[in-house]
Amino acid sequence: MAASAQQSPLPHINQFADGAGTIGSSEGSVAASYVHNWRLGKKRKWEAGLGLRYTGYFGTKKDFRTAPGRLARSTTTPFIIVFAGQKTENWDTLTVQRPFINSVNLSVNFGYNFNSKWSGGFNIDLIGFSFGRKSSAVLTSNGITRTEPAASTPAFNVLLTGDNDYGSLNSEFFLKYKLNDRWGIRAIYQFYFAEYTTSTVKQTAPDGTIVNRFRNKANTYGAGIAYHF
Amino acid sequence: MVVCAGAFAVAGCTKNNATPDARLNEMLPGADTSSNITAKYMGNFGNGPFGSVTGAAKIYLVNGQYTLALENVAISNGPDLHVYLSKELQPVNFIDLGKLKATGGNQLYTIASMPDFTLYKYALIHCQQYNHLFGSAALK
Repeated sequence: MAASAQQSPLPHINQFADGAGTIGSSEGSVAASYVHNWRLGKKRKWEAGLGLRYTGYFGTKKDFRTAPGRLARSTTTPFIIVFAGQKTENWDTLTVQRPFINSVNLSVNFGYNFNSKWSGGFNIDLIGFSFGRKSSAVLTSNGITRTEPAASTPAFNVLLTGDNDYGSLNSEFFLKYKLNDRWGIRAIYQFYFAEYTTSTVKQTAPDGTIVNRFRNKANTYGAGIAYHF
Repeated sequence: MVVCAGAFAVAGCTKNNATPDARLNEMLPGADTSSNITAKYMGNFGNGPFGSVTGAAKIYLVNGQYTLALENVAISNGPDLHVYLSKELQPVNFIDLGKLKATGGNQLYTIASMPDFTLYKYALIHCQQYNHLFGSAALK
């Protein structure tokens, strides 16, 4: 009785590998990551760390909107841009017929351990690279439709907050249940910034800016399984 | 993760994306009572590199609105087939009149705008998802 009442604190380090899959409306993703977290605080309830994550995003006939933050939002101030008004009058739509993006990014991870079994957290990609399939697309601009024969994903990703971001970046909110010392399962809400660029047809924004970057903000839900080292 | 990806792959390949195999028989308003509705532009379909299309495309002007009529057409089925009015044979600049209603028969597509048919001079059957041209008709 005394032993169970006086539980040993969680280890200082939480290392795990994780596989996840999510699905949304005509889109989905798979992800694999390695995470190294340090537990913080007297009771080691909090944890934070870095990880490396591969995300594969795929879909069918997905709409990507005008990406540059200056055109998409009313301010480009970092962090504030997340809550800024949307300048929909500047938005054009690039319908990518068969998007498929592979991204490998460094991630930052935060978590809180409710007890030895249950924990929750948030993670987000910081910087990395992408590669993927070129896809035909249709750019709809002021009611005029044009074919982009080979839209492609940009090679470089970086988190600059909100619509300032470049490239394709994954983020998750999750709830984890540890089955035993090694294995855990997760329920996931994923928010994925996917980006495609055009090469042949481009948007001319109302201020004359030529735009070839378009973004889809994918909301998906799924599950994951983690192996703790 | 694998189950999730598999479920998506199956969902993406369903027949929801295909055109109904059917013969429609849509007629212009008043076509059964009036014989003086004449086509402004017309052309016969030829096969594209990725499909076969036979029949005719005709542009009618009825009550101030253009309509594209596909007459007696037979079209090989495919995913995500759309009907375009296009400036080019391989569509770059085009007006999407919507998804192909059926693979055969007589079909009408309302043209919401008033395009210049000296520029939009092709009627196309185009697989949008894979950017494949199934057939084209030069409108004259």
